[in-house]
Amino acid sequence: MLQPVSVGLKLGFLIVLYLFLVWVAASTLFDLRRGLRGGGGSTVPVGEATSIHQTVDPMALLGDEEFEPRLVVEHASGHEPGVAYDLMDPVTLGRGDVELKLEDPFASTRHASITRHGRTLVLEDLGSTNGTYLNGEPVTGPQPLHVGDRIRIGDSEFTYLQ
Amino acid sequence: MRARNWELISLVPAALLVSAGFAAVYIQRANQLETVSLIYGAIFLGLCLGAHIFIRVTLPHADPFIFPLVAVLACYGLVMIYRIDGATEARVQAQWFVLGLVLFAATIVWFRDYRRLENYRYLIMTGSVVLLLLPRVPGLGVYSGGAYLAIHLPGITFQPPEFAKVGVVIFLSSYLRDHRQALASGRRILGYRIPPLKHLGPLLALWGAAMLALVVIGDIGSSLMFYGALLAIVYVATDRISFVIFGMLAFGLGSWFLATHIPHIDARIQDWLHPFNPALYSAPLGSYQLANAQFAMAAGGLFGQGFGQTLLYIPGTTNALIPFPSTDMVFSVITGDLGLFGAAGLLVTYLLFISRGFKAAMLARDSFSKLLAVGLSTVIAVQVFVIVGGVARVIPFTGVPLPFVAYGGSSILANFVLVALLLLVSDRARRPLSDT
Repeated sequence: MLQPVSVGLKLGFLIVLYLFLVWVAASTLFDLRRGLRGGGGSTVPVGEATSIHQTVDPMALLGDEEFEPRLVVEHASGHEPGVAYDLMDPVTLGRGDVELKLEDPFASTRHASITRHGRTLVLEDLGSTNGTYLNGEPVTGPQPLHVGDRIRIGDSEFTYLQ
Repeated sequence: MRARNWELISLVPAALLVSAGFAAVYIQRANQLETVSLIYGAIFLGLCLGAHIFIRVTLPHADPFIFPLVAVLACYGLVMIYRIDGATEARVQAQWFVLGLVLFAATIVWFRDYRRLENYRYLIMTGSVVLLLLPRVPGLGVYSGGAYLAIHLPGITFQPPEFAKVGVVIFLSSYLRDHRQALASGRRILGYRIPPLKHLGPLLALWGAAMLALVVIGDIGSSLMFYGALLAIVYVATDRISFVIFGMLAFGLGSWFLATHIPHIDARIQDWLHPFNPALYSAPLGSYQLANAQFAMAAGGLFGQGFGQTLLYIPGTTNALIPFPSTDMVFSVITGDLGLFGAAGLLVTYLLFISRGFKAAMLARDSFSKLLAVGLSTVIAVQVFVIVGGVARVIPFTGVPLPFVAYGGSSILANFVLVALLLLVSDRARRPLSDT
C-alpha cells in the first residue's frame, strides 16, 4: 500500500538534491563572472589577484586614469602617518641617499625597491641585513603588490594603495 | 549581510531532504521503528539553524554555500544511517552532530585569528604524529583488516587519523609558507630546477614519513590522503608541476615496493583485482564485502531501489551480506538505494564543497590562509576519492570514513573543525578592506 508514497519520496529527495546542486553551481558561476569583471557587490576588490602567483599581465598598459600607485605611511620615524608617496617612478627605500629615506636603525643603506611594470608594482629586497616584510612574511625575490598590502622595514610600516 | 540570507535559504533544501528521507525510511520500516526516531531528523534541522545563527553573528562575510553543502552531506549521512540502523546508530550519530557543532563553534571562538595556529606548528605536527602512531600502541590500538586505524578506549572507539589530517595540513601550510620561495628557486639541471638540498630535505623527510605511515599503519588509503594534501600544498606554494609529477612517481614506486613485500597489502590488491574469485570471496577478511557491494551498487540502477531496499542481511538470517554498511560501505548502500543519480548527486555535492574551498583560497590575501584552504579542501577531496574509489573498485579498498556521511564520531568532530577553519579563512578573505 505504502510503496508508491515511498517511491514518490525517493524521487522527491533526488529532485530536491539536484535543484539545490544546480542552484549552488549557478551561483558559483555567477560569482566567478563577477570576479572577472573586477569587483562590485560584496566581493573583495582583489578578486582575481593572488598573493602567491600573479594572474594579471605585468605588462598590461596604462589606460585607466584612476591608477595611482602610492605608499601610505602607517608609522615611520621622520614621516607623518597618512602621508602618501607616489610610486609611478622607481623608488628605493633605505637609510642612505635614496628616494624614500628611512630614519630606522634596522634599515640598510639601500634596503628595498619598488618598481612599476605596467599596472603591477613589484617589491624587492636589495639584500638588506634585517629583511623586508610583506604582510608579515619575509620577502625573498620580487613580489607583486596588491591593494592593502603592508610593507614593514624594521619599525617602519607602510600600506600600498592604488 | 546578503551572503547570510543566501545561506539561510540554502538550508531549506537540506530541511526538505531530511524530511523526505526520514519519512520514506519510516514508511518502509514502520514496523521496526518508533515515531520517536523521527525526532532525530527534527533535532538535526534545529542544529543547522542554530549553527547558521552562530555563523551569522561571528563570521558575517564567510562563504554562504560551505555550510549548507555540509548540511546536505550530513543529512545524506543521517538519512542513510537511520535507514541502516534506525534504532541505535542514528541516535548516536545525532548526538555526535551535537558535539560536532559545539566543537565547530568552539573552534571559531578560540581561533578567531586562526593565524595564531602558526605559532604552534611544531606542537601541532608532533601531536598529529603521536595521534597517527597511537593505534600501534599495544592494548590501545584496534587491528582490523590488516590496518591500524583506530584506538579503543573504554566505551569509545576513536580514529586518530581524522584529527591528524587537520593538524598535518596546518603544519604543512605554515612550513611551506616560509620555505616556498627557496623551494621554487634552485639550480637548473637538464632543464629542471633542483631545489637546494637543505630545503628539499624536509620534503623528502615527509615523503619518507608517508611511506613509514604506510608500513606502520599498514594502509595505502590514508597515507595517500596525507600525501595528496602535501603535493597539493607544495604545488600551490611553488607553482612547479614537476614536484607533483616526481612526488606521484615516488609514491607509486614506494607503494609498488611495499605492495609486493607486505602480505596484507598484497591481499588487498588481490581482493581489488579479483573480488569474484571464489577462493578470495570465501577467505576470512577476503573480498566478500567488496564483491557484495558491487552487486548492491549494480542493483541500484539509475534511480535506485528505494530507501531501505538494498539487502544488507542474507534474507531470513542475521548474517551480514554487506559487513559494515554504515561505515566502510555506506557509499554502496547509497548507490543501491538511490541509484546512479543519488550517488552522482552526492559526489557533485563534494565537488561543489571543494570548489568553494578553493574559491576561499583564491580570495585569501595571505599565503598561509591560501595554503590552509587549499590543503583542507584537498584532504577532503582525496579522502572521498580514496573511499569511493575503493568501494567502486577504482583503487584497492581502504576503510577511511566518507566525510560527514559515514557513521563515526571522530570523523564528524574532526571534519567540523576542518569546516570551521575553512569558514574562518573565507570570512577573513571576503571581509571588505575597510573593516580590517
